[in-house]
Amino acid sequence: MALYQDLNNQSLQSKFSGYFVPAIILLSIIISLILVSFGEDKSEFPEFITDAFTFTAWVNQGEDFLKANIKEYTRAISSYVKEGYFLLEDFLIDSSWLFVTALLVIPSLAFGGIKLATFILFGTMYWGMVGLWESAMETLALMGLSVFLSVVIGVLLGVCCALSDRFERTMKPILDIMQVMPAFVYLIPAMFFFGIGGAPAILATMIYSMPPIIRLTNLGIRQVPNETIETATSFGSNRGQILFKVQIPLALPSIMMGVNQTIMMALALVVLATFIGAQGLGSDIWVAIRKLDVGAGMEGGLCVLLMAIMFDRFGKAVSRETVTLPADSQKFYILPQNWDIYPLARLFEKPFTYIHFTFAFMFSGIVRIFAYFLEQVLSLISKKIAIAFSQFINLHYFFITGLLFLIGIYLYDIHVTSIGTFPESWNLSIRDQISSGVSALTVNPTFIAITKTIRSSVIIYLLRPFDMYLTYLPYWFTIGTLVIVSWASVGFRFAITTLVLLLFIGACNIWTEAMITLSSVLISVLLCFLIGVPIGILASYSQRFQSINEVILDAMQTLPYFCYLIPVLMFFGGGAFSALLATIIYSIPPIIRLTVLGLSQVSSTYSEVSTSFGGSLIQTLRKIKFPLAIPSLVMGFNQTVMMAFAMQIVTPLIGGKGLGLEVFNGLARSDTGRALAAGIGICLLAMIIDRISLAWTKKQRDALGI
Amino acid sequence: MKKSFFTNAFLALIMSSFLVLSAGTANAKRLTAAVADWTGGEITCQVAVSILEQELGYKVERIVFPSGTGLWEAIAAGDIDFACESWPGYAEADDVMLNAPLIYDGEVVVEYSGTGEVIAFTTGIIGASDYYVPKYFMDANPDFNGWEDLNKFKAEFATVETGSKGRLIGCPVAGWNCHDQKRLDIMGIDFEAVELGTETALLAEAQGAFDRKEPFLMYLWEPHFFFGKNEMVGIGLPAHQSCDSFTEANNWQDCGKGSWPATNWPKDYTMNYMNPEVMAKPENAEALAFFKKMKFQNGDQAKMLVRVDSDGLSIEEAVQEWKDSSSDWKNWLP
Repeated sequence: MALYQDLNNQSLQSKFSGYFVPAIILLSIIISLILVSFGEDKSEFPEFITDAFTFTAWVNQGEDFLKANIKEYTRAISSYVKEGYFLLEDFLIDSSWLFVTALLVIPSLAFGGIKLATFILFGTMYWGMVGLWESAMETLALMGLSVFLSVVIGVLLGVCCALSDRFERTMKPILDIMQVMPAFVYLIPAMFFFGIGGAPAILATMIYSMPPIIRLTNLGIRQVPNETIETATSFGSNRGQILFKVQIPLALPSIMMGVNQTIMMALALVVLATFIGAQGLGSDIWVAIRKLDVGAGMEGGLCVLLMAIMFDRFGKAVSRETVTLPADSQKFYILPQNWDIYPLARLFEKPFTYIHFTFAFMFSGIVRIFAYFLEQVLSLISKKIAIAFSQFINLHYFFITGLLFLIGIYLYDIHVTSIGTFPESWNLSIRDQISSGVSALTVNPTFIAITKTIRSSVIIYLLRPFDMYLTYLPYWFTIGTLVIVSWASVGFRFAITTLVLLLFIGACNIWTEAMITLSSVLISVLLCFLIGVPIGILASYSQRFQSINEVILDAMQTLPYFCYLIPVLMFFGGGAFSALLATIIYSIPPIIRLTVLGLSQVSSTYSEVSTSFGGSLIQTLRKIKFPLAIPSLVMGFNQTVMMAFAMQIVTPLIGGKGLGLEVFNGLARSDTGRALAAGIGICLLAMIIDRISLAWTKKQRDALGI
Repeated sequence: MKKSFFTNAFLALIMSSFLVLSAGTANAKRLTAAVADWTGGEITCQVAVSILEQELGYKVERIVFPSGTGLWEAIAAGDIDFACESWPGYAEADDVMLNAPLIYDGEVVVEYSGTGEVIAFTTGIIGASDYYVPKYFMDANPDFNGWEDLNKFKAEFATVETGSKGRLIGCPVAGWNCHDQKRLDIMGIDFEAVELGTETALLAEAQGAFDRKEPFLMYLWEPHFFFGKNEMVGIGLPAHQSCDSFTEANNWQDCGKGSWPATNWPKDYTMNYMNPEVMAKPENAEALAFFKKMKFQNGDQAKMLVRVDSDGLSIEEAVQEWKDSSSDWKNWLP
């Protein structure tokens, strides 16, 4: 221990300390290997501790108490949520498809222009064309309400966090738990308290998706410069005015970022919501997957993916601070603006320009006439109001036309002919193609030979030795190492916390499972790092590669993982390797994104200087860009670790082991205590690693003076 | 300013449309059913639902709900009125929540002494579980005659994970109490049971291996849609013999060879299960009488499974086709 304190001693000679840390690490690895080779069985906590610490039983008693006492209140809450949900769902399902499409397309046309509107039109048409219109409406209602409630409550809590330091301190660990605690753990008990279907699904989705909006609202408000607030105060604003007129408007970009994150996380729960009886795209995907119908599952997955991207792009369009160019003076409507040097692009855009002008002319004409009539009618009452009204209408011609258009469709649907749900004849299905593609690959000898080689080498050289190493390593050695590492990187208080948390895991008698989870997380993160960083470097050099990359990353994060689990199983077989692969697919995007961010943030001056001194591309990258990008890389590493932990709860579905499996076994036996202990175990491991890597980032930033 | 007005107006529009559209009709004979998420269960459910709707005049709302403890809890709480085709050999909740003997053909097949939060009646479908190998493996190895020969062929069944041992794609969920590894150990079969976590994973693994014509040993049950697409042969485990000491309370003390778990599974008299309070209502008396009399046959379900999984019919179409061609179901009407 004393040696470690010396480590932090700044007066230590640099020559000495250069060898000191590696030496300590090497020594401890050697000791651990010796311990492992002498260990005869998996390391277990002493029985007298695990027998006395009956956390599981306590939780179950507590649950019984709650079941007997608070059920009426929780059911009342859920009945309110349910009312709202049914209202929205019935509205979306009963409305004609044309009305819903128009309702989605018109606002996006207003905020995002033709490009966004075309995309949204494509998305909504896709739901109908694959025959999932009704399910999509159910999911839209579920997600719309969850996101709406999350944003309202999340912004409120975020503002509270920003105003009170004490509130922020209490919220922080709660937010960590909300994000990492596997949804399965609270999904089944939630059903007892809140019933089945939409209401508990919405509440569960809110628990999972609220943290980002709270965090980013808090951050946004706190980042408002003090000078601005002082200026406002000196002009006589009171606290409320400062909050609503200064802080919140300035924090808006950050809040909108939170909204986007919330949307993405909410849509990740679509399939899980099926487990408590919420209908929609999630249940379609689940039923298809149960039948091994990869094509149908993938189609449903694409619907969810499109919905997520639609929400996301629409949110981005609304939050964009300044509209880049007024629509009339835009040169191009679909292609990038700077392409106007190419004659072909100009030719391509020509028809769109004409269409735009025709529509603009028609719309403004209709609105002018409408405004004129209204003015005439109103001027009978008061001349002043009439002029104000007509001016208002003429100013908002787009909005008024949109509204008239919607009312028109609505009235047509009700009074003339019923448009009804999406026409079945417009079917365009790709499920058979996907299914036959997957089955062709399943029997392709070359492909299977490749997958088998990868699988066996990863299992033999990576997974099995590492699993053995961590499970056979005596628990006191593992705990000691982690405590020392947290002492050195964060501080004394956190070292004590780490010790307590790890002892809790041990005392719950889930040490072996926890070590298996840790091992699969660390290996997946290592592989993510080895695959993700090179891709990130490539993307930071090539803009074209980056734009393709971006779309793929979006898809990887929002496509429900159930959709790709089956192909993964068919190609690689169930078990630890498929679990690893699914984890990598889900958690690699942050490391790639942040590598790109880190490398492209490095000011071009540095690399130019390096090049002018004769540094090669590799040298510039290795000596200049990488060191400067380290904080970003560590941040990406941290996010990847978090997502890999979150994925541990899904991998048991395809043969993964560890704490996630323990959660499932607990739930299968209606043993909430057992499931909760394992869920908490995942959270605690994630929190320890999170804190250590964040502290390390901070040190790097300080060292670089960023 | 313009933006905020825009959004406000849109919200107002949406809200006002609710008022126009929110009108519900009350109907006395309404039931909520959990539709099973596997094809066999879906068919049994659709048979029950179509009789309730077409013959008895009920309006049944269908909810897709994955089977398991959650579903039992939902029925006990009254959120769902009934669910179809539970397999007693696999359900954990039945012991806890049922409190009446399960009767098939006038005979008691299982005794229960739980809380009675849920009631159950047999569906008529009798399930059987076993270990299976593909037919092409049997054809290629004529001297493979059943489970006694497994050790001779273990090298063919070995995988990276199991090393020198053969691999059994075992019962996927620990909560089902299959005790695969225990069975293999007692019977002296040098195989390792691999638990894949879900039925889907088990099927995907098996389907991939079948398509590639690899030898594999898997656990599964009949009737199942997998057998409609893939020809499999059971390895004929010894007939079921119960073992009273093999419980969690007795620390899983086994009775050696010839007794559970070193035998085949008992027959599973599957059951429809429902909320007792809902079924006690006078308007549901007909539905209750129907559930008591329902006796769906394995053979019929197997035929429909083929129609659905191989011929591409929807569940509804397959059930309607059967209803039109058969008259068995008329005996189940109250």
